[in-house]
Amino acid sequence: MSDRQLDDWRAQALQLENEVNQVVVGQAGAVRLITTAIFARGHVLLEGDVGVGKTTLLRAFTRGIGGGYQRVEGTIDLMPNDLVYHTYLGDDGRPHVSPGPLLSHGTNLSVFFFNEINRARPQVHSLLLRVMAERTLSAFNREHHFPHMLVFADRNQVEKEETFEIPSAARDRFMMEIPIVVPANIDTMESLIFDTRFHDVDALVDKVAPGILQFDGLNEVAALIQSSIQASPTLRRYTLDLWLATRSPADYGLKVEGVDIKRLVIAGASPRGIAMMMRAARVNAWLNGREAVLPEDIHTVFHETIAHRMVFNPIYEMRRTEIARELLSQTIRTISAA
Amino acid sequence: MLGYHRLNILLLVLCLASPLAWSADETGKAAELPPVTITANNPAREVGYHIGDILTRTVTLKVSDQYQILPTSLPIPGNQKRYRNKEQGIEIYASKLSESHRDGQNIYTLELSYQVFTSSIVAKPAALPPEFVKFSGNGKQFQVRIPSWNFRISPLAVYGSVNVSKDMSPLRGPLLISADKHRQTMVAALAILSLSLLGLLYILGNRAWLPRMGGPFARAYREVRKTSADNTGLETAISRLHQAFKQSCGQSVFSADEIIQLKPAFTPLKDDIERFFRLSRAVFFDSAEQGTPDNPNPWLRQFSRRCRDIERGMK
Repeated sequence: MSDRQLDDWRAQALQLENEVNQVVVGQAGAVRLITTAIFARGHVLLEGDVGVGKTTLLRAFTRGIGGGYQRVEGTIDLMPNDLVYHTYLGDDGRPHVSPGPLLSHGTNLSVFFFNEINRARPQVHSLLLRVMAERTLSAFNREHHFPHMLVFADRNQVEKEETFEIPSAARDRFMMEIPIVVPANIDTMESLIFDTRFHDVDALVDKVAPGILQFDGLNEVAALIQSSIQASPTLRRYTLDLWLATRSPADYGLKVEGVDIKRLVIAGASPRGIAMMMRAARVNAWLNGREAVLPEDIHTVFHETIAHRMVFNPIYEMRRTEIARELLSQTIRTISAA
Repeated sequence: MLGYHRLNILLLVLCLASPLAWSADETGKAAELPPVTITANNPAREVGYHIGDILTRTVTLKVSDQYQILPTSLPIPGNQKRYRNKEQGIEIYASKLSESHRDGQNIYTLELSYQVFTSSIVAKPAALPPEFVKFSGNGKQFQVRIPSWNFRISPLAVYGSVNVSKDMSPLRGPLLISADKHRQTMVAALAILSLSLLGLLYILGNRAWLPRMGGPFARAYREVRKTSADNTGLETAISRLHQAFKQSCGQSVFSADEIIQLKPAFTPLKDDIERFFRLSRAVFFDSAEQGTPDNPNPWLRQFSRRCRDIERGMK
């Protein structure tokens, strides 16, 4: 695959971004991050209040990527086998077993959309651990592969009733956790209220051209991006410093108001997490037409790839979002790149 | 009359001739004894010796090499001189003789140590006694006298109480209490106080002696000027300027907009700051970066000077 093809892929990626931005307004940052995750082959978790457009955003991307698409709703009674198969009585009056959401598209599954993931039980989270990490599943006495699959999930943190906190091991499988907030622009807010095209979500999502990206070529282009975008020795050193600062912030002089920094972090970013951060930074550099990663590329993806991996002392867990954002901002403001 | 004058002249001649005759007689006597040059090197001070102290004097005797000292005539350790059959309390502690030969002379170095064995309730005059040593040779034998040396032996303790006010001697002058120690303490305290105040001034002045002096860019400019013209020097200069921006803005900064937002005073330098970041990217991160200065080292020196000027409030 040549540089020209990389340019073609970039044009398609920017077209996808553009189309989604037409449908979901005021979320350009989140759209760029999801595009980044798609080309870095990372799973995405959206987090935000109810009705802010998380599901619409993911559906719009799903349509643009093309390939097999499945969606499940997280419920308290959802069990792992509900994702793998379902049984029913056929017209012939006999029991039948058919593939569940994960298996129905075979290897062509490109997007597995898990809505309200925190409503599902830990058993389901466990199944997802393997599917997300290895893109394989053992069922019906054989191994099933999903080489092109990305998991898009969303959750809202407002509701705590009948929900299960996603364990840190499962959170770590997601490349990014992207916060979705109500757009701050007054005009955008007004159009969301009065523009009727935003009221019919199905019609809105259908405006995204289907299959803008060739889903089964994404793995190849992703590998090419990772191998062709360079990281200089200075940037490597800078990334290492950032990582170490997330693990022992007190050693780097980081401070968060009202927090005992020495007791705050139980575990910083994992090696897998920082590697995913670097993958995303490379894709961001590529999307911006560069051949090497800059510190700004890291900053663009730093919060969304690292914050959800931090394991804090339980006494600070209630203020997790606020503390993580402040801590990581402090990290960027404190560590020198060159 | 003429006879009277002749008598006077005769008397005058006699008067003048008689001392010469005596002198000639003395010279003849001295010529009989070979000359011995005696040099004594005595203790440095003459007072302040107590019972038990050992005083050492070194006596050098120079004599023609026709003569030798008689070892049997040397002072014997343990001996004590007597005066009117009374021991003087100064005993020979050690006697050491060394000899050498130079310029046709025998040189004898006699090191004599005396120990004080007497004491008194008042300061007491004493003397290292004269010693007599003998020489022989050339069919003769003669002795020479090593002169005595006076000193004072001090009492170990003053007997009774001493009332200085009743001992007001005009020769002694008033007794003064020394203020040297207090003066030195005061000078030291004033020095410490001055240094502390200077230090406080320096700290309150944001670690600069004058307002807007010694800021991050002033220090960076000094260091950038000293960097070499190679790649290492270029990297060092860029890093140093990044540090200066970080110190000036209070955080790491990555773009001109960020700097101007935090430090609006740098607005006139916006284009140059953007060029600086492009140069930094080209050097550290992405060699394909465009729009960098042609001669980066001189440009960085000029840029750092302009940043320093902005820092000092100049436009």
